[in-house]
Amino acid sequence: MKKRTLFASAILAGGAVLGTAAVAQEQLPTHLKELLELGMHPGHSFVDEGREMFHKPGPNGKSCASCHGQDGKKLEGAYAKMPRYYKDIGKVADIDTRILACMTKYMGYDKNDKKFMKQFNKWSGPYRVPLASYVASLSNGQTINVQLNHPEEKRMYKLGEKLWFQRVGARDFSCGICHTVLEGKRIRLQGLPNPVKEKVYGHWPAYRFGSDRMWTMEDRVRSCYKAYFLYIKQWDEKKDWVKKPPPYSEWVIALELYMKKASNGATVEVPGLLR
Amino acid sequence: MKKIALVGVVAGLGLLVACQPAAQQAKAESKKEGSTAKKLSKHEKFKIALSNQDKFQKACSNPVQLVPEGIDIETFKKEMLKTVKFPEGGVVGKNVARGEKLFGDPKKGGKSRRGNCYACHCGDPNIIACGNIGPSLRGYGKRGIDPKDTYIRIYNSWAINPCSVMPRLGYHGVLKPEEIADIVAYMHDPNSPLNK
Repeated sequence: MKKRTLFASAILAGGAVLGTAAVAQEQLPTHLKELLELGMHPGHSFVDEGREMFHKPGPNGKSCASCHGQDGKKLEGAYAKMPRYYKDIGKVADIDTRILACMTKYMGYDKNDKKFMKQFNKWSGPYRVPLASYVASLSNGQTINVQLNHPEEKRMYKLGEKLWFQRVGARDFSCGICHTVLEGKRIRLQGLPNPVKEKVYGHWPAYRFGSDRMWTMEDRVRSCYKAYFLYIKQWDEKKDWVKKPPPYSEWVIALELYMKKASNGATVEVPGLLR
Repeated sequence: MKKIALVGVVAGLGLLVACQPAAQQAKAESKKEGSTAKKLSKHEKFKIALSNQDKFQKACSNPVQLVPEGIDIETFKKEMLKTVKFPEGGVVGKNVARGEKLFGDPKKGGKSRRGNCYACHCGDPNIIACGNIGPSLRGYGKRGIDPKDTYIRIYNSWAINPCSVMPRLGYHGVLKPEEIADIVAYMHDPNSPLNK
């Protein structure tokens, strides 16, 4: 943990300076590529942390490795096919949801234990983000191949497509406004990528210098909704602001499925590195 | 009707409420006002938030995004224009300084960045960190544009450009009429850095 923070902040100091110079490039800018070549990628410490957690036994003595094999042997390529329908939990799951389901269903963690859930949901917690980064990295080099075979997958894909274009909230936004209509433009100095067309899903989960954190797509999608200014009765930034969809909810997973399907054919290169 | 039913759920009365007469629902609503929001689950909250989509947003929710579907463009504009409320003191406000803050300073405009014109538009040449989504507003006050039109555009951009990317800031109450008037004042003021 400590190692990670130190490492990250050292890189951040350099990254911040370089970051301002490289505006509007969401796709890996040169200076970040250079960091990668030097082997200095803060995201890798999250993957390492995830590997440790993967082999650590849960409350009932089972670890992820108990089912998925030493070093996740049986999970190679799994992330390239996600989100998908899982029979054992009866729904379409993204990586965050799948990990939570495994931990609570098979490893003895308790979903009703508020302390555990808080730790699990937390961005800097020991479970969700490191494990997602590690498991995703097991598919590195593989081609994204999301298929819509199960009726639930088809339904979720349609929901994702609908949500993508659904203009809503006090800012009249949709995902599509920024990421389809305005692709390539800048909000202030931040470039707007088109995740559907550009197949950017290959480098998620990604480490972002701006927040000094590893983000899963779950985090990315939920945080985007903050910009919508959603409300219950009447928009009010202090009293009535529905900031994010709940974690592991259908809305988030549907959008992930929609975007990842569009990234079919891209190569998984995790963790990504973004400004 | 849907809304009332949902508020009923808020009041903690669950599905029972849906079967009760409307008057009782209204009573429950007013009684629990204020404390209601806390009782909704995150799930219910988000569901309601999405269902708050108005019919104009719905018309703009097609893959083209910028052309309304199902509503004729002229009708769309007319109906949007009807929603514009003008401040008592006229469309050009007196507090140019506040207008400037709302135009350009996200922190002073509130943490939510409710003004923040620079996200999409350039303006003051000293502010380089400006977006290129909307047209540049440098020299805006010299273009002979009627301040009333500026006001309408900020209040409800869809009265001029249906389904525009620009949020309907006054329509949704993100900005108050008086605040918009101050932004108009800042944009049209000959001494504004925009116009120098």
